[in-house]
Amino acid sequence: MIAKYTEVEVLAAVPRLTAVRLSTFVDMQIVVPMRDGNRPVFGAIDVARMELLCDLAEQFELEEDGLGIIMSLIDQLHAVRQDFHALAAAVSSEPAETRRRIAANFRQGRSADED
Amino acid sequence: MSDDPYRALGLTPSATAEDIKKAYRKLVRTSHPDLHPDDPAAEARFKAISAAHDLLKDPETRAKFDAGEIDASGQQKPERRYYRDFADAPGGNAYQQQRGFESGVDPEDFFAEILRRRGRTGGRQQGFGDPFGDSNFSAPGQDLRYSLEVPFLDAARGARTRITLPDGSGLEVTIPPGLSDGQTLRLRGKGAPGFGGGPVGDALITVAVRGHPVFRRDGNDIHIDLPITIDEAVLGSKIAVPTIAGNVNVTIPKGSNTGRSLRLRGRGVKPAKGEPGDQIVALRVEMPSVIDPALAAFMEEWRKTNTYDPRQGLFEVVPE
Repeated sequence: MIAKYTEVEVLAAVPRLTAVRLSTFVDMQIVVPMRDGNRPVFGAIDVARMELLCDLAEQFELEEDGLGIIMSLIDQLHAVRQDFHALAAAVSSEPAETRRRIAANFRQGRSADED
Repeated sequence: MSDDPYRALGLTPSATAEDIKKAYRKLVRTSHPDLHPDDPAAEARFKAISAAHDLLKDPETRAKFDAGEIDASGQQKPERRYYRDFADAPGGNAYQQQRGFESGVDPEDFFAEILRRRGRTGGRQQGFGDPFGDSNFSAPGQDLRYSLEVPFLDAARGARTRITLPDGSGLEVTIPPGLSDGQTLRLRGKGAPGFGGGPVGDALITVAVRGHPVFRRDGNDIHIDLPITIDEAVLGSKIAVPTIAGNVNVTIPKGSNTGRSLRLRGRGVKPAKGEPGDQIVALRVEMPSVIDPALAAFMEEWRKTNTYDPRQGLFEVVPE
């Protein structure tokens, strides 16, 4: 089962999180609760995300807009990494000859990008 | 952590509060695990610098440390789970944008899909696009997240279900066979409407799979405990065994013992792509609830001429 946290439980799980901060994150859609009927619920991923948000907010005194941009970039980074790893796994299961050809095309594509 | 919190932050004991804050910020930037998902050592570094910072950020504890009243170990923080662990979850996570290879995409096309995405202009995320670089500002609609509990068999076999949205309308959800707990389904174009002609957002449905009284799942394999009678165990038998796709007749070999496992090939979860799983049947010999006189009398006779010691191995490894 995936863990589900209500608003109250999420505030208890992340001590640095205040109710004001939580509602700002949700309004900004930096954290998007799931819907369980009409009640918003949070998962373990949201808890970890809010720990990170608190790190960023406190250490770098970031406002919501800045946090939103950083989280958007982090999410994009993760998406690209996952695609990249999937692609790397797909390529590595190809025969050596195919891998060499892909590697050559890859290097060519990179140097073309730099022009 | 190191014994010297100052050194952990690259400072000396003469550092000011401002120096400490600056040094910590800089190290967070280079060592926060969530900002460096590919750096396996980041977590250990981040722990060390956080512990050092926790000790030094408070003038009171810092003074105590300086006076030698407390040591650098301070108090241990509870284990923390980092965002990167979730962000990296197989099956994707609901915050991911621009996922490249989804189950709906024809694998033949997915390199073309990457190139297509690359050619597309405008950000995917509402609010973070660049309204100045694009005179016809448009933004895709918001992705909406839902949670859905799915019965065990629906998740194993695949099914269709509906979720009811807060506004009372329904949304048809196709559950692919072999769906696992915690996985997120993305329904394209089922989220909030876009802005300025932007595409509709997606619905992201995080799934919790309910347990089952009979079946357990391990990936695509299904496990089941099967009680058998002593006569079936001794003489062998052919009995009906439930599988996720209905009953199957299974031959119980003569002399089957408790703990013996039978593997029913291909009777597990059949995912849309990839090999189907197996069903693993663990046998358990169950005594009759009443021992009738005839059975007792037979056993009395039997043990006069037959003897075996299943406990022999126990005494060899346990010292007296």
